[in-house]
Amino acid sequence: MSEKRIFDHPVLKFDRGQEFYFEFEGKKIKAYEGETIASALYADGLTKFTESKILERPRGFFCAIGKCSSCIMSVNGRPHVRTCVTQAEENMKVERHGARPKFPGIDVGRGKEIKEKEIEIAIIGGGPAGLMAAITAAKLGSEVHLFDEGSNPGGQLIKQTHQFFGSHEEDAGTRGIVIGENLAEEAQKLGVNIHPKTKVLGYYFDRKVAVERKGRFEIYDVGGIVYAGGAIENYLAFENNDFPGVYGAGGVQTLMNEEGIVPGEKVLMVGSGNVGLIVSYQLLQAGVDVAEVIEALPTIGGYQVHASKIRRAGVPIQTSHTIVKAVGEDEVEGAVVHQVDEDWKKVEGTERKIDCDIICLAVGLRPDTSFLRQADCEMEYVAELGGFVPLRTEDMRTTTKGIYVAGDSAGIEEATVAALEGKLAGAALHEELNEEDEETKRLKREAKKGLEQMRKGPYGKVPRLGVKTCTVDEEVCG
Amino acid sequence: MSEEYDAVIIGGGVNGLGTAYHLGKKGSTDVVVLDKSYLGYGASGRNGGGIRQQWTSEENIKLALESRKMFEKLNEELEEDLEFYQGGYLVLSFDEEEAEEFKENVKRQNRLGVESEFLSPEEAKEIVPELDISEVVAATFNQSDGTIYPFKVIHGYANRVREMGIEVKEHTEVTDIVTDGEEIKKVKTDKGEIKTDTVVNAAGGWSSQVAEMAGAEIPNVPVRHEIMVTEPFERFLEPMVISFKHGIYFSQSEHGNIVGGIGNPDEEPGINQKGSLWFLKTFSDTLLDFIPRFSAVNMIRQWAGLYDTTPDAQPILGSVPEVERFYQVNGFSGHGFMVSPMVDKVTAELVMGEEPSMDIERLKVERFEDMDIEEEGAVVG
Repeated sequence: MSEKRIFDHPVLKFDRGQEFYFEFEGKKIKAYEGETIASALYADGLTKFTESKILERPRGFFCAIGKCSSCIMSVNGRPHVRTCVTQAEENMKVERHGARPKFPGIDVGRGKEIKEKEIEIAIIGGGPAGLMAAITAAKLGSEVHLFDEGSNPGGQLIKQTHQFFGSHEEDAGTRGIVIGENLAEEAQKLGVNIHPKTKVLGYYFDRKVAVERKGRFEIYDVGGIVYAGGAIENYLAFENNDFPGVYGAGGVQTLMNEEGIVPGEKVLMVGSGNVGLIVSYQLLQAGVDVAEVIEALPTIGGYQVHASKIRRAGVPIQTSHTIVKAVGEDEVEGAVVHQVDEDWKKVEGTERKIDCDIICLAVGLRPDTSFLRQADCEMEYVAELGGFVPLRTEDMRTTTKGIYVAGDSAGIEEATVAALEGKLAGAALHEELNEEDEETKRLKREAKKGLEQMRKGPYGKVPRLGVKTCTVDEEVCG
Repeated sequence: MSEEYDAVIIGGGVNGLGTAYHLGKKGSTDVVVLDKSYLGYGASGRNGGGIRQQWTSEENIKLALESRKMFEKLNEELEEDLEFYQGGYLVLSFDEEEAEEFKENVKRQNRLGVESEFLSPEEAKEIVPELDISEVVAATFNQSDGTIYPFKVIHGYANRVREMGIEVKEHTEVTDIVTDGEEIKKVKTDKGEIKTDTVVNAAGGWSSQVAEMAGAEIPNVPVRHEIMVTEPFERFLEPMVISFKHGIYFSQSEHGNIVGGIGNPDEEPGINQKGSLWFLKTFSDTLLDFIPRFSAVNMIRQWAGLYDTTPDAQPILGSVPEVERFYQVNGFSGHGFMVSPMVDKVTAELVMGEEPSMDIERLKVERFEDMDIEEEGAVVG
């Protein structure tokens, strides 16, 4: 494909800045102001970015959010730069260095002395849970700082071009992207200090949060924390699952809806949960062909309304199907799938090849809890919530003093639940750090009632059970 | 679980598993190794993998020398590439007085068979061209020192001892050692009881706690030490570089990452395996003094482990006065990995009632009753 940038989209508008050029291995590459190095290279057709450390297999653009290190390159002589979170600049010199670069030939000098800054509340993560926690605590009068890796807060909401529905009356019919913007705007109005493009690196005892901003290290000495780091996508085991061209649904969404770049020409979608269905539809909106959606279960996982939309567009959804191999020399040129029976065994004679240049995995999420583990929060495996989650009180306080949790990090549920948990955690942390007051109590009650509403009935059974398993008494939590 | 074994080894680190391996080689396989967590949860899975023979005490030099020779054959024995890379140890000195001691150390090491050399700062720079030697006064170097990949050694041992029929049980915590007079009767764990008359205490930072369960006293104190790893590079650093003055050590692994640590003289004793900001700042700052070009390198992980320290920084081996057949393999004070092959062989011999290949009288716990102990002077990290 000659041009991977999206210029015409039914929902999104991409405001690209000034056009300029940088140098990649001796070649001039076009980029637009605000674009990352990796995006510009991907748009130019580059598929192999680096190599894996042990087997030295090619690595393609993958997570698009600075987490997977599949795009690291040398930039102006400095090795191991994550090009997906580094903006392209005019005349920059970029080179691939494979698994092991040469030891840097440059001394970039010592950084400034690291200063510790005291703040009252740190919210980690700017998705619906983090934003609501920030809004609530700020409304109650706390000094709140919100740290988020992305350029704009909103978390996964800013990738959601579809309209939300469901029980949260005020957001029904609104696109996720707009909900995210509204929350961010409200937080800003309430005086929340939003720190975008700021990656939280870890927790140090006692109540110190280490962050990285523009390659620099900073330390915050905090009164309390609401951790709302969200989720990590599950991966799937099949032959060549590390080929460039195999993506998680999150990476595809970032590339397409934030960077305005299509991942490829033809996509095989693996997984028919809401994420798989919605991303398939977004791909169609961006003008990308979706070959098929396959699903290992005998039934479609997501809502009928999403399934019908992509079926109407002519995309078949094959249930009881699984992927066993990515085909190609060293990047995706197709996929081998076959049917499975009720015991997940292969149905002989059903194996077939699907032509595609992208395999998109949408096979569920698990809570991102590494920060909480590091902070010694006691964890418990709760299948109903997608994996290991921290033990918490009804108020979302973990077993480590001063640390609260909200959103997918507390267990995989819906965005509305995440927002309500954020509200509860924000209010509860404010209460812990201040004197009791009626308004705080009221907000807590309101959030708890909302959560109860969301988790009642037959659809709420699974999370209801899960939450029960990991919710402990105040005394147990210490 | 209610079982009976000839011997119970407490601690699934390099020395517990290594002792089991040497027992197994002698045909003694009615043995169980217990770890309260996973294999290598303690210092064996948290250390820098250094293999050094440049020590000051005669015992440590001998143990390290014999162990190095055994490490050279361990790939073959365990049928595993343990990534033993003999790029040497470059020990830097920053003051004249220490340099004089280095000369003496080299003499003693040479006399005992370690082929270490005394170097000028310029000669040190030839070995590591990136080094800033402006403050360096002298150095010593020993080519047959090097680094090994600790996880592969631990799992190599575990696989081999399991093949031999020895049990290795993870997540099994010893809660008590029951004795009758001087005899061991059984070991109680959170999973049940084990009848035995022989216990090997290879519990690293938890050794004192384990000794106490049997009513024995050892002077070991756990002290946190911290370590980090950077992004990987093509091999550019051959030796492990260390400085006693700074307490720093760093080397490049076979995977290309720089692995290094620095000791905190003000560290409070106790069981603490958390990384600290002090370490992050101090290590980075000091490393840049040694090789300024590290400024363009990212640290990717930091962690901590425990030195099981003794008053003379030498290990405690052999049984104890209070209890019979309660063998100590602990108190390594930060160098338990590099001396493990020889120590484990000797311990297995003691357990079997054989004449030990090396005289360990001066390493038994009774030495602390005399006032005349020789302190090891070459501890780093």
